[in-house]
Amino acid sequence: MPLLETIGVTKRFGGLVAVAEMDFAIEEGAIYSIIGPNGAGKTTFFNTLTGIYQPDDGRILFEGNSLLGLRPDQINARAIARTFQNIRLFGGMTVSENIRVGMHQRLGQTMLGALLRTRAFLKEEDRALTKAHQMINYVGLQGCADELASNLPYGAQRRIEIARALASEPKLLLLDEPTAGMNPNESREAMLLFQRLRDDLGITILLIEHDMRVVMTISDRITVMDYGQKIAEGLPAEIRSNSRVIEAYLGRGAATENIMVG
Amino acid sequence: MIATIKSLLSGAARQCEHWLQQGKRPYAFTCVYLALGTASVFFSPRSLIAFIFFLSTALVVYYLKMDSRFKLALAGFALLVLVPIVGIRNIFYLEVIFQISVFTALALGLNIVVGFAGLLDLGYVAFYAVGAYLWAFFGSQQPYLLHYIPGTAPPGTPFFLPADMFYLFAFLAVIVAAFTGIILGLPVLRLRGDYLAIVTLGFGEVIRVLANNLDKPLNFTNGPQGITPIQRPSLPEPLRNALSAILDPLVQHPVSEGDFYNLYFYLAALFVVVVVIVVATRLDNSKIGRAWTAIREDEMAAVAMGVPLVRMKLLAFAAGASFAGVMGVLFAASRTFVSPESFSFMQSIGVLSMVILGGLGSIPGVILGATVVIILNLQVLMGLSLYLSQLRQSDAVIPIINFAWKNLSTQLDPAKYQRMLFGIILVLMMIYRPAGLIPAERRKRELSTHDPENSGSRSEAAPEPPEDADAPA
Amino acid sequence: MRRFYESAALRELLRPLGQIAVFVTVSSAVLSILILFLAFLLRGTAVNQLTLSHYKVDIFFYTLQNLPQVLIDGVTLGFVYAAIALGYTMVYGVLEFINFAHSEIFAIGAFVGVELLIALAKAGQLSSIPLWGAYAWLALAIVVAMVFAGAMATLMEMTAYRPLRGAPRLVPLISAIGVSFFLQDAIRLVESLTTGQFHRIIPTFGNFDQRLSIGRFSIGATTLSVNMQYKSIVVIVAAVMMLMLLNYLVNATKMGMAIRAVAQDRPTASLMGINVNRYITLTFLVGGALGGAAGVLYALKFTRIDPFVGFFPGLKAFAAAVLGGIGNLTGALLGGIVLGLLETFAGSYLSVFTMGAFGAEYKDILAFGILIVVLIFRPAGLLGEQVEQKA
Repeated sequence: MPLLETIGVTKRFGGLVAVAEMDFAIEEGAIYSIIGPNGAGKTTFFNTLTGIYQPDDGRILFEGNSLLGLRPDQINARAIARTFQNIRLFGGMTVSENIRVGMHQRLGQTMLGALLRTRAFLKEEDRALTKAHQMINYVGLQGCADELASNLPYGAQRRIEIARALASEPKLLLLDEPTAGMNPNESREAMLLFQRLRDDLGITILLIEHDMRVVMTISDRITVMDYGQKIAEGLPAEIRSNSRVIEAYLGRGAATENIMVG
Repeated sequence: MIATIKSLLSGAARQCEHWLQQGKRPYAFTCVYLALGTASVFFSPRSLIAFIFFLSTALVVYYLKMDSRFKLALAGFALLVLVPIVGIRNIFYLEVIFQISVFTALALGLNIVVGFAGLLDLGYVAFYAVGAYLWAFFGSQQPYLLHYIPGTAPPGTPFFLPADMFYLFAFLAVIVAAFTGIILGLPVLRLRGDYLAIVTLGFGEVIRVLANNLDKPLNFTNGPQGITPIQRPSLPEPLRNALSAILDPLVQHPVSEGDFYNLYFYLAALFVVVVVIVVATRLDNSKIGRAWTAIREDEMAAVAMGVPLVRMKLLAFAAGASFAGVMGVLFAASRTFVSPESFSFMQSIGVLSMVILGGLGSIPGVILGATVVIILNLQVLMGLSLYLSQLRQSDAVIPIINFAWKNLSTQLDPAKYQRMLFGIILVLMMIYRPAGLIPAERRKRELSTHDPENSGSRSEAAPEPPEDADAPA
Repeated sequence: MRRFYESAALRELLRPLGQIAVFVTVSSAVLSILILFLAFLLRGTAVNQLTLSHYKVDIFFYTLQNLPQVLIDGVTLGFVYAAIALGYTMVYGVLEFINFAHSEIFAIGAFVGVELLIALAKAGQLSSIPLWGAYAWLALAIVVAMVFAGAMATLMEMTAYRPLRGAPRLVPLISAIGVSFFLQDAIRLVESLTTGQFHRIIPTFGNFDQRLSIGRFSIGATTLSVNMQYKSIVVIVAAVMMLMLLNYLVNATKMGMAIRAVAQDRPTASLMGINVNRYITLTFLVGGALGGAAGVLYALKFTRIDPFVGFFPGLKAFAAAVLGGIGNLTGALLGGIVLGLLETFAGSYLSVFTMGAFGAEYKDILAFGILIVVLIFRPAGLLGEQVEQKA
């Protein structure tokens, strides 16, 4: 059974069809990428998967259970986490606090426990701190735990977002243009991180990406969207030479020249 | 008596010298400051400046670097010993300090809603009213007067409950007010910030209109006349006598029952303030507090990270409401009278201006804000009023335009111009210092510079930032 | 000239008339039918006994007797609310910002108009003048009030709102509340210094208080005479004119197009060469002027004003704007009329229908009830578009 499956998902905004009849499936333990020109509906698709939008049509199944009608926090509780295209960190909080917010669903604290400072509560607070530090080290931000998130450079902020998403112990991680704005060095490190996530932690990853080098290197499977529809799907090598895909990105003329190199 | 004070003072002086020798200047300074402040209020009870001097000790204690146990001990001593003495000497000060404690508790409660969770509640006074009318109804004769039109209560109607049920109702008010908060919050917490503000304003007005009109068909609230008398809890005789023995010679006049009740309610309000501070701090340092800050910063990111929005917002609402409820009970008992006038929109805005002046989300800030606003309201404005009426009675004339003060309309009474005060505070703070006088802890870190020891290891972790280092919002 | 007649401009000028006619007729009809139906159902109950003993008629006839007057008063009040609501909705449409202090602009307009008329009365200019003279003075009072109110709104925008333009949404809202409170006491201060009075009463002049008889109907044994005060007619006519002019301004002039562009997409409008700041200020100016005119009309209808006169009408007008669909001029109109009618119905009938359990005072919180219900169930209002926010 695929880990995540969508059947005929459609999302409309008034007259605009942002996502049209998306049939899509991911197997557990793989890295998938969704690519496509700007405005193809990729982020909108993410938003329907995570409950920010409710699809107008179609079904979404995670581990066989429907996600329709669930709020984003409920979907997070089902072990799906995400990052955002424009970084959405809590700028006024420290790195550690940001990550601990991600743990909200996984911490067993009650209000009474917080007020009375019970042993159970303190244990959970401790666990949160430890886990946050683990995440910080894992993404390579050692020593930044008490820095204000908005004070850190861009590349670090992207990593904080990933750490925060990881803190909710997801089975499926949705990354929206995680390497945007990164230089080649940082992209390379990011790719290694994603592979480590899959190999060490068994997390299934779904990427939206524009950096073809990243996409071609680490993806097990690529789906291509244009105008809200899936226009191609397959292995990196297949996608690279698919003329419809080239046409979508570069226009009909370019399709005749095979210029997508990885 | 005098001998005890003398020996205490000389003991304190010796301690201060000792500290100075050790180089612990702040400790000596604070003690001397406190002593001077107390003395100045004690010996010039009518001077506003002396009073402010005395109160400013709090700022000194807050800002100087000292051992926190010392700070707590000193604060406790000042609040539990010095303030009552000063207050009984000049009963007006005790009234001011009581109002400061009541509004500090209210402002701290509102701070949880507005400052922590970022929900602009303009009808906060509704929860205050719920608590007040709860005790006003049950702690008076009103339950027997349900079928009597306001003003026709027969003399000799007994009170419904014994006066000491006040304590039970203070506790009940927490639950009732929290429940009201949840009921009011459920339908509206999905709304966006500015709409939420207007709707909560509406709730506040609805409660006030209800208080004004629930005198028919059954007389619950006695309408615009309000409910009076409301019982106060009893003061045990032996305690009264003991305190009287200590205080009478100190303040050089016999302490009346009214004074004792003022003192009692001041201490009760102080107790609630301490509880609110503890609750707010503990909630802040838990996943609930982090969830609130996350909601305030970016709701969509928060919910994507698993923060249940409505539940967290309701919690903030209920927590804030419960504190207002308790203070309502206290207020009703201390005044022995409630009427719908005390629960107007202006009161909600007054509390909001305290929070904004002091600092959204900042507990010391809110305490400062409440103090400043109350003093401006009660003392500065009233002082101006008195000054103006003195001028009116004299033959003085405004220079240049030669207008006699006598002819100035009696309508012009600075004491009534609280709205102008609140309005100026809100506008100026939003434009020039939106974080408040004492910004919340988290915001202070924005201004701190990097620690040089850490930057070494960090530069391994964070490679050269790319050219667009300014992260897109 | 002929081109004007055929042009879009004329259409824009006249369109509100059609809308007004539809809204007033439909709302009045719906509410009348509902209330008569309710009265019909209550005929067999204790409520009926009450009306029989007090008014000598059964509940149905009681309702019917009062209906014409209630409708007229409701529509008049509705137009006042609509006039105030326009200011709120214009500013919201352009800035997505609730100008909380608009209620004080309304109050300032009322005071300026009233003080001017009082001064004229004192100078003997309002007694024994021809009818057209009275209307002329009233028109002058309205114009002066509009100028003052518009200027005040512009000043407000430049000092208290513009510095906060980029800040999170709640910051300018809090500032607006501050301005509102400040102005309430500022009005009180000015009045105390100059006149020493809290309440001000508009002088009587012209034929405004006289009644125009509309007709007499016989129903059964009773004859109803329906009449309308001239001042109500003035209020309605003035409000309708304001609506027509505003609609023309927004939909058929270059300035209006610029305002609409700024409302839809500020950065692009700026790139197209529109001076955004100037048009935002202009929006406040126009909205403020309308609020000021509404103030004078309010003073005319209700005769007595005080420095806090803006608070309730302002909030109710805001509720009306939300009910109709905030940001939408037509919506403000519809919302105002519906709210005015509902409030007048409640004021007249609530007490009788509930046998005194709920007095007429509850009509003041009716607007809040409507606001809450609309925001929960249909936040876009009656005429708004359901726009889902793109994440």
